[in-house]
Amino acid sequence: MTRFQRFPTAPARLVLAWRAAALVAAALIVGVLLALSGRDVFVLGELVLHSTVGSRFGLEDLALFMTPLVLTGAAVTVTSRIGLWNIGGEGQFYLGAIGAAGVGLYLPGPQIVVLPLMALAAIACGMAWIIVPTLARAYAGVSEIITTLLLNFVAGLLTYWLATGPWRDRVTGALASSGRISDAIPELWGVVHWGFPLSLAIAAGLAAIMTWTGWGYEVRVSGANPGAARYAGMPMRGRVIAVMLLSGALAALAGMFEVAGTVHRLQGGMADNFGYLGIVVAVLARRSCLAVIPAALLMALILDAGIVLQTQQLAATAVLAITGLVLLLIAIGDELAHYRPVAPASSTRSGVAA
Amino acid sequence: MEMPAAAPGTPPVLQLVGICKYFPGVIANEDVSLDVRPGEILALLGENGAGKSTLMNVVTGIYQPDAGEMILDGYGTEFASPQEAIRAGVGMVHQHFKLVPAFTVAENIHLGWSETPRNASPAVLEARTQALSEQFGFPVNPSARVEDLSAGEQQRVEILRVLARRARLLILDEPTAVLTPAEARDLFSALRAFRAGGNAVIIISHKLDEVMEISDRVTILRGGRNVGTWETRECSPRMLAATMVGREIVPQDMRARAEGAAPRGAAPELSLRSVSVRDERGIETLSDVTLDVFGGEILGIAGVAGNGQRELTEVLTGLLSPEQGEVLLGGRTAAPGADAFARSGVGHIPQDRLHSALAPSLGTTDNMALREYRAPPIGGSGLFRADAALALAREIAGVAEVRIPDFGAPVRNLSGGNQQRLVARREMRIASRVLVAAYPSRGLDIGAIATMHRYFAELRDKGVAIVLVSEDLEELLNLSDRIGVMFHGRLMATLDAEDADIERIGLLMGGRNMGEDAASGGGVA
Repeated sequence: MTRFQRFPTAPARLVLAWRAAALVAAALIVGVLLALSGRDVFVLGELVLHSTVGSRFGLEDLALFMTPLVLTGAAVTVTSRIGLWNIGGEGQFYLGAIGAAGVGLYLPGPQIVVLPLMALAAIACGMAWIIVPTLARAYAGVSEIITTLLLNFVAGLLTYWLATGPWRDRVTGALASSGRISDAIPELWGVVHWGFPLSLAIAAGLAAIMTWTGWGYEVRVSGANPGAARYAGMPMRGRVIAVMLLSGALAALAGMFEVAGTVHRLQGGMADNFGYLGIVVAVLARRSCLAVIPAALLMALILDAGIVLQTQQLAATAVLAITGLVLLLIAIGDELAHYRPVAPASSTRSGVAA
Repeated sequence: MEMPAAAPGTPPVLQLVGICKYFPGVIANEDVSLDVRPGEILALLGENGAGKSTLMNVVTGIYQPDAGEMILDGYGTEFASPQEAIRAGVGMVHQHFKLVPAFTVAENIHLGWSETPRNASPAVLEARTQALSEQFGFPVNPSARVEDLSAGEQQRVEILRVLARRARLLILDEPTAVLTPAEARDLFSALRAFRAGGNAVIIISHKLDEVMEISDRVTILRGGRNVGTWETRECSPRMLAATMVGREIVPQDMRARAEGAAPRGAAPELSLRSVSVRDERGIETLSDVTLDVFGGEILGIAGVAGNGQRELTEVLTGLLSPEQGEVLLGGRTAAPGADAFARSGVGHIPQDRLHSALAPSLGTTDNMALREYRAPPIGGSGLFRADAALALAREIAGVAEVRIPDFGAPVRNLSGGNQQRLVARREMRIASRVLVAAYPSRGLDIGAIATMHRYFAELRDKGVAIVLVSEDLEELLNLSDRIGVMFHGRLMATLDAEDADIERIGLLMGGRNMGEDAASGGGVA
């Protein structure tokens, strides 16, 4: 008799297999529901595939979606490594966009100088936006979840104010938007700019730092058990501050890439939930900086497919429901990956349970 | 024995026949049969991992057996859940209490109970709790919050909660592990009263003295199997120990030095000079403590838990900087910080290994690198070399004689004894000067405790100074050269183990100094 037993760890192989099954199951459920409501599922499916992975235009779109998602996903992942949650990616994204736009709009100069300055300004603004939650966490034990979250709304309104007030576009009169920024991240492949490979390199670099440096080890131990970190004399407070500032900088860099690579303006509402979706990406990546890349790809696919479906007169709420279904099934798959079959009563005894 | 013999033909309260329970790659219980009769206390004895807790989890419906039968009062039974077990009169008090800390005693007693009245006002619940408390002879304060209670008081609430639900079979998992000797005595007399009412008790333990004192019969488990059941009066502690571990345990006088052992050092390795510490509420937890530890000796620290031992070990290992006084390492003022102390050769086996010595969710490799990741071969120039860390982990596991199937798997999957061996060996590697060990044998079985003691003797013979904090006087007397006694944050006295006796230490632990007329009062906090 084969029985299934829940193990405390889930091997990556099983997680992947279950997630693949979850995606197939989601596709089937959505397909059946669409067919029942009188849609031609195969035409829709082909359209979705064509406009995501099946055409150059679709692939370019995917890469553009992935770029901010990789960075905001990495921002949440690094804090989760030390046991914290930066829910403020959205706000830090806006601040990064503001910093970058400010330099781009009002600091003339050669592109080779202005672009790095835009990035630096974005990083500085993102760090400034998370510094209060960081210090409150490190010195007073204030939950960073609440403080980072609440600052998102302030950042969103600040962006609207700038884009409709002092920085508003006086040339074309575009609504809730600054003027066009002439300095842009060079394009690499169609509309895909250099921010895309750069964000992948940043995720890989973070993974290397987390695995192969003493700093990464200290972050790992501090996150797994603060008591053990204190016992080993690790500078916990310093690590918490560094990781949260790094997180703010990553989300802000996503904002800078968006301003200088894709939108070329500061626009109200431009963060478009990328900060919050970064949390979903981080959860999908299960604390691994490297796994942020495929997780962001999956998220980008879902977003992209959703847009395609909306062009086919599917309600935005239906698209949201499909997104929720996919994530729900993946969460179930992750849980199932903890279960493995066990053969009872093998005569070899490798240990005895307590 | 004043125990009322059950009338002939009275079925056992509980009978287990051929119970099997398997976990992946592990046999937790195999073909276990035993019975518990009305009016008796049955001790379930076995090493860590012998399958005692699993068996009791089967009995109380937390696990379902893979094979075998459970017979309650002569009828075959199956429990799908703990609720069914308690409805059938089988109640268990776990080692780690399952109470809601923020609730009052009365609220905890009435939580999830079908007989809780609709009108659950505090006054009603507290009155009911008071009545129950008097009925069963377990004094509790119904309006107190559970988080404010001592471990002993919390245990009384747990037991009362089970008894209130009309349990006739009470199962206790290592009930005295968290109790002071006085609280343990109270518990035992309450259990005897419960037995006198024709009820049955199963008490899980690996403390031999306690089994001899309280039980009527003993069932011993080893490797998940039932080795046998004996009348306690026919047993001796020595025979029980040998049966439990499956080999003869030779009690050793660990104080004897091996040949060629390093002599006791002339200058102290680690000293405290009038050290005082206050907690965050400003209460003095360590008062004016002065002590010296010399190389090649074991200094035992006795005392009832909570009398400043934790603060003492933290000061000795650099985790806590004293507010007043000085800490000297090798005669010089020590640089502050746990890291600096570790680098100067101070190892630390803390009292709660899962809370501070290990990161339970990380692998063995990461956990074994905790002390040596800063320096080559693992560290250096900011790097963390995972292959070197793995090599270190293999080496430590080898010396500790712990078999690790997967060095990346969470260390919490290992048994408590194996975790402690790994921690001990990791700390012994860096303890070139001093090793501070707090309650190193807590929660370990006899075999693992013997290993731990052997480690300390080896280290002492190498000339390292050892501070051993323990509440087990037997252990302290067997190992220590000198014994210091803590009471209310003070070091009451330091005695040579040669002329120390349990009586004298016991008095000091209660705050009475010989000659003095019990100046500080006899009460133990």
